[in-house]
Amino acid sequence: MAVFMQSLISGILIGGVYALIGIGLTLIFGVMRVINFAHGDILMVGMYLTYIIFTMLGIDPFVSVLITFPLMFLFGGFLQKVFINRVLNALAQNQILLTIGLGLIMSNTVMLIFTSDYKILTTSYSSSTIQVGGGVSVSTPLLISFLITSAITAALYWFLLKTDTGQAIRATAQDRDAAQLMGINVKRMSIIAFGLGAALAGTAGALISPTYYIFPQVGGVFTLKAFVITVLGGMGSVVGATLGGILIGVTESMSAVYVSSGWKDVIVFVLFLLVLLFKPSGLMGKSRT
Amino acid sequence: MDKTILKAIAILAVLGGLLAIPRFVDSPYALHMMILLFMSVMMGQSWNILGGYAGQHSVGHAAYFGVGAYTTMMLMHTKQIAPWIGVWAGIALVVVVALIIGSICFRLRGPYFVLASIAVAEILRLSAINLTTLTNGAEGILATELPPFKVGGAIITDFATKVPFYYIGLFLVVLTVGVTYLVQHSKLGYFFQAIREDQDAAHSLGISISLYKNIALVLSAVLTSLAGSFYGIYVGFVDPPTVLGLDVSVQIMLICIIGGMGTLWGPVLGSLVLVPLSEALRSNMITEALVKIGLVSPESKIGIFLKENLSHAHVLLYGILVVVVILFMPDGLMGFIKKLAKRRKQEAV
Amino acid sequence: MAILEIKNVSKFFGGLAANSNVSFSVEEGTIMGLIGPNGAGKTTLFNCITGYYPPSKGEVVFDGRRMNGLDPDKVCMLGMVRTWQKVRPLAKLSVVDNVMVGALARTSSLKVARELAMEQIKVVRMEHRADFIAGGLPIGERKKLEVARALATQPKLLLLDEVMGGLNPAESEEIIQLILDIKQRGLTQMVIEHDMKAIMRISDRIVVLTSGEKLTEGSPQEVVSNPEVISAYLGEAHA
Repeated sequence: MAVFMQSLISGILIGGVYALIGIGLTLIFGVMRVINFAHGDILMVGMYLTYIIFTMLGIDPFVSVLITFPLMFLFGGFLQKVFINRVLNALAQNQILLTIGLGLIMSNTVMLIFTSDYKILTTSYSSSTIQVGGGVSVSTPLLISFLITSAITAALYWFLLKTDTGQAIRATAQDRDAAQLMGINVKRMSIIAFGLGAALAGTAGALISPTYYIFPQVGGVFTLKAFVITVLGGMGSVVGATLGGILIGVTESMSAVYVSSGWKDVIVFVLFLLVLLFKPSGLMGKSRT
Repeated sequence: MDKTILKAIAILAVLGGLLAIPRFVDSPYALHMMILLFMSVMMGQSWNILGGYAGQHSVGHAAYFGVGAYTTMMLMHTKQIAPWIGVWAGIALVVVVALIIGSICFRLRGPYFVLASIAVAEILRLSAINLTTLTNGAEGILATELPPFKVGGAIITDFATKVPFYYIGLFLVVLTVGVTYLVQHSKLGYFFQAIREDQDAAHSLGISISLYKNIALVLSAVLTSLAGSFYGIYVGFVDPPTVLGLDVSVQIMLICIIGGMGTLWGPVLGSLVLVPLSEALRSNMITEALVKIGLVSPESKIGIFLKENLSHAHVLLYGILVVVVILFMPDGLMGFIKKLAKRRKQEAV
Repeated sequence: MAILEIKNVSKFFGGLAANSNVSFSVEEGTIMGLIGPNGAGKTTLFNCITGYYPPSKGEVVFDGRRMNGLDPDKVCMLGMVRTWQKVRPLAKLSVVDNVMVGALARTSSLKVARELAMEQIKVVRMEHRADFIAGGLPIGERKKLEVARALATQPKLLLLDEVMGGLNPAESEEIIQLILDIKQRGLTQMVIEHDMKAIMRISDRIVVLTSGEKLTEGSPQEVVSNPEVISAYLGEAHA
């Protein structure tokens, strides 16, 4: 039972970070109908940014989120304005290829600068744990990152539901043309959405940097995970992505314990294919006829 | 003279030249470059049948490349089965895999198809890592001892030089380009393109969508697996990332996109651009050239940095090329050339 | 003899009925007009007949054969072909290649297909456009291309979904002549059209749909003098 609780809790905790990644991807998809294949690479950029801030300025990764978030927002806005905006009406495959290309540029530029060596960001609490009773212990950095994730997610929900800009973003996601007719500056909303998406991915990168190896190709895995999460939750659904993230976190940690850690990703992908086949609109999405 | 006859003569001349090259060139490096070029054309052209003509943009072609490479290598390594026999096992297995993937992925359209194709290839890659007894896991399979190729007791070649590989590669390129040519000039080509342009319209015109998509996939997968098998025996080593990784799928696609999808010569053109460029980066030729023309001093910090790092960054070039091509010439180099030719024609008139 | 029989066909989307209990039959060699206000379920009915949607209830019998559950490609091979309200040219292919795709339903030889295609291109009078890229044609010619492509599959029954939509009067007139030409060759047609004048001229019989149900059926004169039809259309005009 303790093992079960242990893996459930760590699954939920890592799921919080996954949710952040998924929400970013789903926001971008919702507003622009573009699937961002560079999402994991943006996360990787966030990781390196955190690493630089930590090694050069000595700022704790969890604190440096305050710097990473706005910087990554600007980076995302820049990507949208310079690149993505030009293919909004292009074929889906061209959009996909463009983002794949951007991802390759990011990972390989980082590789040029930092080489492909694995970097480790060691904090005083990197490997410390907290006992929560019943023989269950929780990794400290994971717990802190979960708390920060929850705060960011809550703030994001507030932003999307309560502010004018947030509502404009949701309107754009619902019907781009109608939103434009209503006088919403769709272009600006797209920049904000991509900026937010990038900021969330970058923040997720910052949050996992104390517990993950940092290397230029780390993004690929997260891009794939982000797809699984968003498809699971229903493309474009923020709530769906939140739940999808947690679900994938738990699935992974459960399969690592009860199957094997080597097969956990396979299980996630098989789950993904099953959802694509039998409920392509996602678990939270409206079914299409 | 008739245009088609001229074309045929040109193609025969190029082919004759290619056949003669090993007689005059004995630099292993030059032959190696040609073999890489052949491999690239094969990979691109195989993808082209499914992605370019039938419009199904698989980002999971590493699955077929890897299955072909692994099957041939595993049979050679563990059962001492010669690759020219093992390759058939690879083809058979790939057909099965392709039909399974087709039955899953072709029920999905657009971005969902792309995601599913990636997921399937990833499942295969992770399986290759985990099924250690079968595939030797992450360490990969090293098998460089090729048995001599005999016909009726007479040894044709013992694979001591690169020349036999050169001819195998050339043969496979002619095969893949030939198959594509036949597809393009048959009912299949018309149906594939109809499906690419508008699936519903194609369906209403009597085209069985699932049948023809699967035909395109199987053709494409078989040719890709041949390329994979050839890669395996030529390099003598396969491991999960180099033959089943997402990079492989992306690279296969790139050749087509840069050259021009859905055109017979697009993948050839794409390979002619990509292979020399990435090789120039890999072998540090660009840094040396920059030093030579005096732009960068070899002792300066930049010079040292470039020398140490630029060779790792050939993929960066892929990224930049994709972005430039998608933004500025979405129909690839072939489309760009055609457009230029058209403009010229109009100016002449 | 009836070539197509629609028997109590219903189509539901979720709880909404796009078609309910529609029945009528189309006689061989005639032109059946299908009219009704927007959202009356005309295109849905076409989709049910040609295999794009399976009917939720009822039967579609074509040439003595039950068609329910057959895919669109099978439907086409059995001799029933449709055009699309929103034209669907194979944009990157030339006009002749577009029509050849249709012709290849009946032959595997490209040479034969090209000849068949050229015949149909002549029927719609687009010989001068044969080598144009379909995506670059003006709307009038794209509509005609749809018809030529459908004809190239050698159908027994041609279903035309608003072929005159968006055309100017001269272009519409050309299409009307084309439809009458096609009838002369003995081909049966079913035509969805908004232009009442046009549909009155070409149809032998007309079925009127409103909110998914068949309102009435009859000769053009009967339909046009039916008070229910008038109010359905006036209702739409007033809305």
